[in-house]
Amino acid sequence: MEAFRQEIIVGAVVVYMLFCIITGLWAMRRTHNSSDFFIAGRGLGPIVVALALFSSTLSGFGFVGGPGLVYSIGVSSFWMVVISSTGYAVGFFLVSKRIRMIAELRDCISLPDIVAARYGSEAVRFLIAITIVLGVMGYLATQILAMAVVMQAILSGTEMFADVGLVTCVAISSAVLIFYCVTGGIIASVYTDVVQGMIMMVAGTLILFTAMSVFDGGMQEATSIILADDAEAIMPYGVAGIMASLGWFFVFGLGLAGQPHLITKMMMNKNIADNRSILPMSLFGYVMAALLWISIGIVMRAAVIDGVVDPLALPDDAASVFLTAFANPLLAGVVFAGLFAAIMSTSDAFLNIGTAAIIHDIPKAIRGHSIKNELFWARVVTVLLAIVAASFALYSHFRDATLVAILGAFGWGTFAASIFPVVAVGLNWKGATVPGAVTAIVAALLINFVSQLAGYTFPYAISGQLVAFASSMVLFIGVSLVTKPPQLDYDIERVMDI
Amino acid sequence: MRSKLIYIIFAIAVLMAGILLAISLAEPVANAGGAAHPDFPGMQIGGDGAARLEHIGLLGFTFQCLLLSQIILLSLLGIAERHRTTDLFVYMGGTMLFTLFIGWQMYSGHTQYLDTGRTGYFMGFPTATAWQLYGTWLGAIPLVIIYSLGFRKYIYTPQDEEKFQQLLSEKAQERTRSEQ
Repeated sequence: MEAFRQEIIVGAVVVYMLFCIITGLWAMRRTHNSSDFFIAGRGLGPIVVALALFSSTLSGFGFVGGPGLVYSIGVSSFWMVVISSTGYAVGFFLVSKRIRMIAELRDCISLPDIVAARYGSEAVRFLIAITIVLGVMGYLATQILAMAVVMQAILSGTEMFADVGLVTCVAISSAVLIFYCVTGGIIASVYTDVVQGMIMMVAGTLILFTAMSVFDGGMQEATSIILADDAEAIMPYGVAGIMASLGWFFVFGLGLAGQPHLITKMMMNKNIADNRSILPMSLFGYVMAALLWISIGIVMRAAVIDGVVDPLALPDDAASVFLTAFANPLLAGVVFAGLFAAIMSTSDAFLNIGTAAIIHDIPKAIRGHSIKNELFWARVVTVLLAIVAASFALYSHFRDATLVAILGAFGWGTFAASIFPVVAVGLNWKGATVPGAVTAIVAALLINFVSQLAGYTFPYAISGQLVAFASSMVLFIGVSLVTKPPQLDYDIERVMDI
Repeated sequence: MRSKLIYIIFAIAVLMAGILLAISLAEPVANAGGAAHPDFPGMQIGGDGAARLEHIGLLGFTFQCLLLSQIILLSLLGIAERHRTTDLFVYMGGTMLFTLFIGWQMYSGHTQYLDTGRTGYFMGFPTATAWQLYGTWLGAIPLVIIYSLGFRKYIYTPQDEEKFQQLLSEKAQERTRSEQ
């Protein structure tokens, strides 16, 4: 079997991609209007929503960057994972019920729709839509690039495709993504998410057992090796220190409830009461999949220190070197399919919310109504958005990485800082005002943008994202408290009383 | 207390911002955010853990406690005011104490290791790290349980569902009237 390792891996990835294409064709028959395209007509069952929610949370970063981060900075990066229970719980307490109720009451198809209904303000809708578009461009470009790099690494290991170029890999991977997103919209996206989520759970669990068998003394031997080399790396705050770790606790823990691609999925379930089972199922799935992040990272750091494997050229090589050195070819095939699943499940979610922001929300905020024939334009813009992001990714790779790095700053942390107060707190506090929301969003964008552009580093590894989030929370509540309480629409007020 | 929840959340947010400012102004130490590993490129080391916590350790731990408290208070904010009953406050208060206890075990376990250089192990990890890895994750599980098992009592009661259905039918009638 070892002789066919590369063929098995390629086969697993091809089967997975064929599945995505077939799902797209199947979902096309169920997509009749823009509500179907963007929020699946609010008709999804609890298992589908739960799996879609967790698989969209764990992007390619979790499968590639996560183990690389543990290899590089030790336990510090655990903080992004162990807060998942907190993050999901806070998200469900604050957002899931009211966002779903407002979506049904006002026929909302996007997060900016919800915000506009809550605040009665097109300015807030516009700012949230712009934040989403900026974030989507950065996220999508990095995801497409990651997908292409992994595909190139897999194909170049075979004789037939040894010389395959990155541009070809970007074209192939983007084509599959575009196909199922354009034909089936969010319906294709969530049903591929279901399988993607299952693959990720299986991959995470199997990898844990493989990782535990690398050292005779199991995980304890691995952590002892790291402790002897540098104790801080395996102590609770890791190499990056207490404030970097707590920054991730803050931004990832509370910030989950501010991620537009995740909370939009909370609008899609058929019954509000399903939330009670969606929360534990999502959390379980995430934890299973995230086992890969922790176990590969720890074992690879220990293996390099102990001389079992050569030092890595790049920390992000941790997962692929682990799979080559320690995993059975079949397991490697499942994990590589899982990696594509992780990247695609996040990418399709971003394509969907980015398209909604462009064809639905920005025109509505500027002209007072969205464009005609939304479903047709949704498909056109999905293609264009993916092509622009793919071109952007290639330009960044071959010419200048700065632009993607800057837009990359509009990632999780910026969404958390600008959206969490306005949506998560705003949906539960009638005193939240438009000036409070506008101030919080603008401050979050400015602090993230300026600290990224200026390359400013705060003392004790405090992140710019943490400063932005803490500031936007204070400004949102503070400005709302000192400005005139709003007159809420009667239906929104009643929803907020429930 | 019940209607003043947002003021408490605001006060904690301001305190946390204040702590961030205080830490920014604290005496700097070398390698507070790590340094390059001398032997392996791409790998970093933390170095002297005691020195890194010397000026900001307690401030950092206070920040952590405030964050844990804020998480519980924000979860409470997500529950309609009339459902914030005494038993709910007991559950939420218990969860807060549980998470603070885990936080303390983690922090004190770490400082104890820095003092003595000795540590036990639990399920593959040094004790303090086990508190972080398993404890932090488990610390929020009571919130998940309160949400799932208490859904029909605190989050979305049958009466809430009835009210929402009534609101939906009122809106539908309104739409029909405006279309006519």
